[in-house]
Amino acid sequence: MSRPAQRRPGYPKINKDLFVLTYGALVAQLCKDYEKDEDVNKYLDNMGYSIGTRLVEDFLARSCVRRCHSYSEITGIIAQVAFKMYLGITPRVTCNNSSRNEFSLILEKNPLVEFVEELPPGRSALCYCNLLCGIIRGALEMVHLDADVTFLQDRLKGDSVTEIGITFLKKPEEKKYRRKK
Amino acid sequence: MAVCIAVIAKENYPLYIRSIPTENELKFHYMVHTSLDVVDEKISALGKALVDQRELYLGLLYPTEDHKVYGYVTNSKVKFVMVVDSSNTALRDNEIRSMFRKLHNSYTDVMCNPFYNPGDRIHSRAFDSTVTSMMTQVC
Repeated sequence: MSRPAQRRPGYPKINKDLFVLTYGALVAQLCKDYEKDEDVNKYLDNMGYSIGTRLVEDFLARSCVRRCHSYSEITGIIAQVAFKMYLGITPRVTCNNSSRNEFSLILEKNPLVEFVEELPPGRSALCYCNLLCGIIRGALEMVHLDADVTFLQDRLKGDSVTEIGITFLKKPEEKKYRRKK
Repeated sequence: MAVCIAVIAKENYPLYIRSIPTENELKFHYMVHTSLDVVDEKISALGKALVDQRELYLGLLYPTEDHKVYGYVTNSKVKFVMVVDSSNTALRDNEIRSMFRKLHNSYTDVMCNPFYNPGDRIHSRAFDSTVTSMMTQVC
């Protein structure tokens, strides 16, 4: 297709404030539409999932990453390439357990919450950046990896850092065999 | 250094007003209220020149016996009014100007908060602390 050829070598840039304000308006509108925080979180996650399933194609086309052989490699790529590419930040990666399928992305700085001082009153369970979880989940699913992505810590809720937890549910090998059948 | 700081919406109702607690609060409310007429006068007198020059600082609106009232208008017609003690001679025009600029920046951050509805009263903690720092700073 002609699409990749048309694309300029540098990524098209969009004003950061515009992006952050747009996301803020989106969340604020969802908060008006839904009374329960859980519903807002779910909706954000669903939206992110739809974005992720599409975005992964763009990501693979642009980044030219090789096949990953371990969960830690995958998480590293997400943190160092994907986050850098789309949000301009590089989260730290930590591994939580011995079976090496639970990882945490620790965001020291989150551009999405730049203007948000605190969660609105009565919305203490809101995950403001739940869209990110959905995106990661959707993108991983498109490369045949089932994962559970949730916020473990959130600066807006008074924690010192923002932490996104990724739990891989199945081994990639199993998936590979299934596809070969 | 300031004894009262107020933010007035385009339609001339207060978005935020705070004064030092030791003195009669109502007196400052009156003072700010009266100053709005002067602000309107200054804006209409400047007319188009204001838009062109982008000079938001209006300068001294009027002095009273023991206070001076300064004004500042954003391009969206939101007014900032600051009352300072007139015994405080160390306060120059330039300092007032920079204080207003700081206030304006802080106000912009409040406006950018997605959970703040434009036109509501300001309850932001960050804005509060900016104002507090301006009121307690010794000069």
